[in-house]
Amino acid sequence: MTKHDVKNMQGVHHGALMYAQEYKDGLMDRREFLSRATALGVTTATAYALIGSEPAKAAAHAQQGGTLRYQMEVRAPKDPRTFDWTQLATVTAGWLEYLVEYNSDGSFNPMLLESWEANDDASVYTLKVRPGVTWNNGDPFTAEHVAFNFTRWADGTAEGNSMAARVASLVDPETNQAAEGAIEVVDDLTVRLNLLNPDITIIPGISDYPAAVIHPDQDPNNTIGQQLGTGPYLCTQHEVGVRATLERNTDHDWWGYAAGKGAYLDRIEFIDYGTDPSAFVAAYAADEIDLNWESVGEYVELFDGLGLVRSEIPSGFTIVIRPNQLATDADGKVIFEDKRVRQAIAMAVDNEVCLELGMAGYGIPADNCHVGPMHPEHAPEVTRIPYDPERAFELLQEAGMADYEFELISIDDDWRRNTTDAVAAQLRDAGFNIKRTILPGSTFWNDWTKYAFSSTNWNHRPLGVQVLGLAYRTGVAWNEFGWSNPEFDALLNEANAIADADARREVMAKIQAIVIEEGVTIQPYWRSAIRHHKPGFVGLERHVADLPQLYKMGIAAS
Amino acid sequence: MGLFILRRLGVMILTALCLTFIVFTLTNLEPNLEKLAKNQANARMTDDQVISWLDNRGYNDPMLIKYGRWLGVLPHFTREEDGEVVYSRCATPGTTIEEAGSFCGVLQGNWGWSTVFQNEVLEILGVRGWQTAKLMFFVMLVMVPGALIVGVLAGMKEGSKLDRSLSTFSIGTTATPEYVSGVIFISLLASPMIGPNWFVGSAQTAMDNITFENFTLPVLTIALYGMGYIARMTRASMTEVMTAQYIRTARLKGVSFQQIVLKHALRNALIAPFTVIMLQLPWLLNGVVIVETLFNFKGFGWTLVQAAGNNDIELLLGVSIISVVVVLVTQLISDIGYVFLNPRIRIA
Repeated sequence: MTKHDVKNMQGVHHGALMYAQEYKDGLMDRREFLSRATALGVTTATAYALIGSEPAKAAAHAQQGGTLRYQMEVRAPKDPRTFDWTQLATVTAGWLEYLVEYNSDGSFNPMLLESWEANDDASVYTLKVRPGVTWNNGDPFTAEHVAFNFTRWADGTAEGNSMAARVASLVDPETNQAAEGAIEVVDDLTVRLNLLNPDITIIPGISDYPAAVIHPDQDPNNTIGQQLGTGPYLCTQHEVGVRATLERNTDHDWWGYAAGKGAYLDRIEFIDYGTDPSAFVAAYAADEIDLNWESVGEYVELFDGLGLVRSEIPSGFTIVIRPNQLATDADGKVIFEDKRVRQAIAMAVDNEVCLELGMAGYGIPADNCHVGPMHPEHAPEVTRIPYDPERAFELLQEAGMADYEFELISIDDDWRRNTTDAVAAQLRDAGFNIKRTILPGSTFWNDWTKYAFSSTNWNHRPLGVQVLGLAYRTGVAWNEFGWSNPEFDALLNEANAIADADARREVMAKIQAIVIEEGVTIQPYWRSAIRHHKPGFVGLERHVADLPQLYKMGIAAS
Repeated sequence: MGLFILRRLGVMILTALCLTFIVFTLTNLEPNLEKLAKNQANARMTDDQVISWLDNRGYNDPMLIKYGRWLGVLPHFTREEDGEVVYSRCATPGTTIEEAGSFCGVLQGNWGWSTVFQNEVLEILGVRGWQTAKLMFFVMLVMVPGALIVGVLAGMKEGSKLDRSLSTFSIGTTATPEYVSGVIFISLLASPMIGPNWFVGSAQTAMDNITFENFTLPVLTIALYGMGYIARMTRASMTEVMTAQYIRTARLKGVSFQQIVLKHALRNALIAPFTVIMLQLPWLLNGVVIVETLFNFKGFGWTLVQAAGNNDIELLLGVSIISVVVVLVTQLISDIGYVFLNPRIRIA
């Protein structure tokens, strides 16, 4: 390490130094190290310096100007904190920016923040606001605005506000609002978050797509009509289901120009082709688009064949095929109350078969615990209950459910339906009596947490504890498993406060083991996120969590 | 004649009222409202949040009251907190509650707010309807002359080789639904992998700029389906006329076959197809739903699919009104046109 690096290391979070040592000892991979160190407030450059490495630089350079045509569903705008589709955020990202940016390499970069620091047990975060940022109405961006947004996010009473769960450590459970004194404006450019409990997920939480920062004067339900933001673009045309156009806001001096961030393109057109991938093929063939949102299944090879560039990244995108432990049938019987039935379901299914039939093999098999190698705290030695269809049927017989007809529900699409079909076929092979029901996308989500036995897709999240906190903890809104386990809840709380790597993985190993042992779900594989684009562009790589980073996109310099 | 048209208008309004009330009732069923709430707020929100969302926007009020509000005979929903109006259904984004007024129904010229497109229903119907009008114009341009020519040629000599082959063609096209012919056309004529790549399998760009490449396939898909039917009708009518006494007389007098067909048979043979063509127009709206979705042409049919899929109540009501108007107006035109073509028929 050079002298310069050593100097930089003063004031670096001791946790990060510990992680760096673990990385050098081979206990942690690079991605995991970056994720953890930057979440503690260490800059990406320093984090790379700590392990004596250099951040990867874009090989090609972008030229200024140009237009990109982007196949994407254009959905009806709504309050950013209630966003339930990354596509919504991809349009608003033209002018509504984020405090922190999560990158595909697992690192967190400051955007509207200049830096942040966590105390030793991750219960107090000091956020430094980036100086020199202005709104496109001329107002300077200050700590007050940051506090305003945190207060908005913490409002658990607002319908559909999913940010409340992401900043749960700020929310007073009594009032369902931000706790008194939790969000503290120290000065014009400093905000201190005094969390109610230690929480390492707060920085990942505010880098997620619903965490777009809005102005206090903004009517949140009219983001298109009143485009008040800090970003380089404005939306000049927005027709739901048809198209949306972003154009450079030439009247606004975006902070990123000075910071060398880019925003190369003058114009980005989002064109809606619905959800049928064959329409994307037609659009490429007709030279109507340069980039598609997502390539799945057999279409990957089809797009390859059109001479497009494939961008692929292994991610935490996944599917769970889960029983709901509270669900009852028409006779009032709690169908999946018996652990043996749930275990039998998991044992009867070969996850590799699901991957092959559902995703045409684009991905890696998973271990039915919703924590994987892309998560820093994953304990790889904890694996699924071995695949054993004969034993599965014995368990089912022991539980007295051998003749029971299970209804397995999925949405009507490509990979989710196929994967669920693969599960149903394997269950039938093992001797289960399965009825398959396929619901159209417009009705599927009405009751998605309540179906007795169904499949649900889950997005990538930076840390393993995050999805577990959102969906597996007792009583949370997205707990589609109907699962409640005090031991699991306690372990999860414990994991959420542990900064030390090995200690946290030890807890995670126990958590994974409980989830697997209880037969909570089949979680067959982790998908590779894939999309394609025409040659001659830079910065169009698929993001691991589909977060919008429009400013990185550009036409390659010739 | 004036009275006749007036009576037809009355029927139209009554039909529109009945249809919209049925659509209103169906879209306001509880599960549909829940779907609406989840589409609007958050797909993964809890039941309590759904109820409060619906309550806060007046969706849980009695059906007749809600229908009256939509019609504009009852003041629209407002929510008060501490004696102050904090929410009014009339206040669309961009207008304040004071500006909005308390009545905002169809009678006030306000067709409502589309929840899925986040825009005025009337504006959406205007923009999307115009796209479909362009499509329909070209469809009619291809379909009507095509069908009449095929029908007349086939009907000139019943049982001839020409008749047999054209009839087979007509039956074939009518028996092939749009979702089959459209897919066949795309894969045969517009696929980079197989076959000649003459056309474009997406009519996305045709919304701004119609070209031969991007508009041929959607137009052909709809036109062929309707063409066969009209051609069959024309043929039947033509064969009947060709056996009539006056044609035989003309032939015996030594008039050339060409003269007989063009001068004597054609006008009489076209009366029946005219009605069929006008009645076919509303039928084409069915085809438009499929073809617009298949070719990504964002018109009226596509709007209907989006509105139905997202339970967009006010947009669906708007679509219903337009459909009623299209069906009844084309019938009216067909009735009036009939009078001009056939002097024996009169309408009071």
